[in-house]
Amino acid sequence: MTVMARRLSRMIQKDAEQESEMRTEIHEMKKEQSSISMMDEFAKYARLERKINKTTDKLKTHVKSRTAQQAKVKWVVNIVFYILQAALMVSLIWKYYSDPVTVVPSRWIAPVERLVAFPTGVPGGVGITCWLVVCNKVVTLGFNVFSQRSQL
Amino acid sequence: MDPGDTTSEEKTGSSMSAAQRRAEMRRRKLLLNSEDRLNRIVGYAKNGSDNNGSSRRPAEPRFHLDLDRTEPWSSSPSSQRSSPFLPESSGLSSVSHTATPERRGSPLPDCSEPAAPPSAVEDDVGGLRQRLKGERAPSDDISGSPRRGLQKYLSRFDDAMKLRGQLASEKPAQDGGSETEEFDPFRVFRLVGSILLAVFVRMFVCKYLSIFAPFLTLELAYMGLSKYFPKVEKKTKTTVLTAALLLSGIPAEVINRSMDTYRRMGDVFSDLCIYFFTFILCHEILLLFGSETP
Repeated sequence: MTVMARRLSRMIQKDAEQESEMRTEIHEMKKEQSSISMMDEFAKYARLERKINKTTDKLKTHVKSRTAQQAKVKWVVNIVFYILQAALMVSLIWKYYSDPVTVVPSRWIAPVERLVAFPTGVPGGVGITCWLVVCNKVVTLGFNVFSQRSQL
Repeated sequence: MDPGDTTSEEKTGSSMSAAQRRAEMRRRKLLLNSEDRLNRIVGYAKNGSDNNGSSRRPAEPRFHLDLDRTEPWSSSPSSQRSSPFLPESSGLSSVSHTATPERRGSPLPDCSEPAAPPSAVEDDVGGLRQRLKGERAPSDDISGSPRRGLQKYLSRFDDAMKLRGQLASEKPAQDGGSETEEFDPFRVFRLVGSILLAVFVRMFVCKYLSIFAPFLTLELAYMGLSKYFPKVEKKTKTTVLTAALLLSGIPAEVINRSMDTYRRMGDVFSDLCIYFFTFILCHEILLLFGSETP
């Protein structure tokens, strides 16, 4: 979801080029400033310093607004995702509330066979609600393990 | 005896008596205003009785909020200089249960008024505490309870300011940092163990007893095996919930234990979900292969 939000914000924000141009400009001005002797050409040095400061402030403002927009996009993507997820779960439960996912002998899942079978009521059945909860947890754990491995 | 000498003696006598009188008045004034003086020393703005302490805003506290404290809150001699309002050995110890236990810092500095040097503060406070111990009168009890309420309010205000700062600093760290937990080998061991057990139970055991019995046995085994694995330090996140619980007066130790219990229950639930998922999956695969084989 984070990756998706980041890509979406990159698609929406087209002024990343402007930012990189400003960074390049600052870098070049600093390079030029380092070649100038402050004692000999103070006026030029000071002028360059002022330009660098002005461009740096502009860049900071730009970065701040971009970060805020990125955070907003991330927030929107999160909310949309959770709404879609909730809608999907509700629709699945609505559609398959009486059909069990699978049926096993009820003594295998004693003493919680009623809870597992909710809301189908079929003895030994695995209800859609229980199965969605289990799958949700398994997928979350799988993503966590996968992302930990990729970090390592 | 010269009349000049008599006059000067009379003058000296009257001036001394005047000086003595002034000294006596000063002494009485000091004794009467001891409470105000103490408040000024420890840095609370003297706004009179109008605000009733509601607008008192102490400066940023110089102590840290310790949610990792494991030992029971007691007046340990090795602790740092404590606030004068935290009762240690006096009869006000009953307040300590309601006072915030995380405070172990210095008295609040005052930014508006000049602060007394620390040694003077401690001497004053020690002297005042001694006086409070020795001269406790019934009227003091009555005036002490609003003071205790004020102290409690101020300590909670300090904690709220501190927690606000912590939450503000943790929020960008959480946003910028990784959203996944730290790598825990024991956690991976648990998950793999649950998967293997589910497969084993589906193959051999489920015909004879419930599938949850081996799972419970496995969890008991994990509890015993946990000490053989390296402990991964779980960072105690100060969330809004923990902040609200702290401000409502629940001790940090209780919150820590509850969070720890909740975390353990979460781990058991994760294991159960993996176990059940693997069991059903194995069951379906076996049914599939069973239906395919002639």
